[in-house]
Amino acid sequence: MSPVITMGPFHPALEEPYKIDVVCEGEHVTDASIRVGFNFRAIEWLAERKNYTADIALFEHVCGICSNVHTLCLSRAIETLAGIEVPERAQYIRVVVAEAERLHSHLLWAGIACELIGFETLFMACFGLREKIMDVLEAISGNRVNYAMNRPGGVNRDIADPGAVLAAVRAIADATSKQLIPVLTTDATVRARCAGVGVLTRADAIAYGAVGPTARASGLPQDIRASAPYEAYDRLLFEVPVRQEGDVFARVVVRALEILESCRIIEQAIEQMPAGPFRGDDYPKVPAGEVCSRIEGPRGEVFYYVASDGSDTPTRVRVRTPTFANMPTARPMVLGQTFADVPLIQASLDPCYSCTDR
Amino acid sequence: MDAESILHMLDVESAAEHRTDGWWVDVPDLDVRGLATLMRTREVRFVTLTGTPDTAGGYRLIYHWDADGALLNIATTVSAGCIASIADIWPAADWVERELRDYYALVFEGRAETPTLMLLEGDEPGLFSRTSAAGREIDPAVTARDAAEAERKES
Repeated sequence: MSPVITMGPFHPALEEPYKIDVVCEGEHVTDASIRVGFNFRAIEWLAERKNYTADIALFEHVCGICSNVHTLCLSRAIETLAGIEVPERAQYIRVVVAEAERLHSHLLWAGIACELIGFETLFMACFGLREKIMDVLEAISGNRVNYAMNRPGGVNRDIADPGAVLAAVRAIADATSKQLIPVLTTDATVRARCAGVGVLTRADAIAYGAVGPTARASGLPQDIRASAPYEAYDRLLFEVPVRQEGDVFARVVVRALEILESCRIIEQAIEQMPAGPFRGDDYPKVPAGEVCSRIEGPRGEVFYYVASDGSDTPTRVRVRTPTFANMPTARPMVLGQTFADVPLIQASLDPCYSCTDR
Repeated sequence: MDAESILHMLDVESAAEHRTDGWWVDVPDLDVRGLATLMRTREVRFVTLTGTPDTAGGYRLIYHWDADGALLNIATTVSAGCIASIADIWPAADWVERELRDYYALVFEGRAETPTLMLLEGDEPGLFSRTSAAGREIDPAVTARDAAEAERKES
């Protein structure tokens, strides 16, 4: 009988609870099953018992890393239902904060991946760069995470010092293009650990419904910012990096290139941002109806469904987080791989169990 | 393939409504496996599945698809608590079907097994339905196991 090796629910490399049962023949994985739900919080159930104001705060806590995408997606759903326009300045501010969050998320992931690969120096470099964008987010919102920026009808705060944002973003873009990307793409250690490892084929990426960088590293050019632009994205120029290999290396490269694209987007948004109000005066009354909202988070497409009966409390809020879509792809990725590569393959998804266990 | 072509192939074009968030159509007698197969062959991406209680005591299931960037929402009604599974056609639907069983005790027919996803192994499915029933508005964080433990201590 083949041995089953259980990793988790507490794993030393990924400080969030999940469990993967790996079946091995010798050193190679022949099957795997993933178990989540250890921190299930029933946030969707809670949302049906809180008003929209309280729900914005509730959904900020779906995730610790990409908290902003959840309040943005929910705010957009409420705005669509209520038929309210968001001031143009607020649209640009939302883009700046969303891309800053993507930078912080991708740099965090790159650092952790480097640590897993055994590249401590690059881990320190990534976290050093991440501090720059964390400082920007703290200066804008007052917080390093959970920024409380979005509200239906706009944002809660203006960007007081756009020059500081530009300076930080230009420093990150410079270091990423001159240091991070050359090392990540040419270093022998990185290539040895990542190239050809944990392949997700294009066909499997479609079948499993992969989203975000995971899908784009498997040849799928899907990005909600480009395919269904929201906020100010239709007025900003950016590329959607896509790789065909589907391996860990492709996922590393896609995220690294996306760091540069996020810097490019923030620079344009700061330069184009018009003067004017950044939120509406009144908190909207939400009429009866149902609506879907999608945005492109750091890990991929975030999906919200909101149903209203016209009261101040939604009758249903459904959240499909990117990790919920991506996590099952770990199974086809690890099949046939060596057991030692399982943690890195799992990490290459940039999984978030807080998001998954809503 | 774009959303309008899909709606035409499903012969539900006239019933469909285009809103700011995408296309919506209600198909009460939807052949979900036929729909899933069509979407698979046309590479129309499965986004997710939303389940919500309806006013008639049944459930409304909305299959969300991405057709060339447009969101296509195809809703159907589940009156007897069961509907065909599409997880063998779309592995992407596996987790969400298990989650909907956890929340509403919906049965997805044709699956070899439907293990819990968010609930603990052995917990009774239908947590949201159970805790929302009249007079039983309790915190879903109190699991069946917690309740049994509390009952044991009381006795």
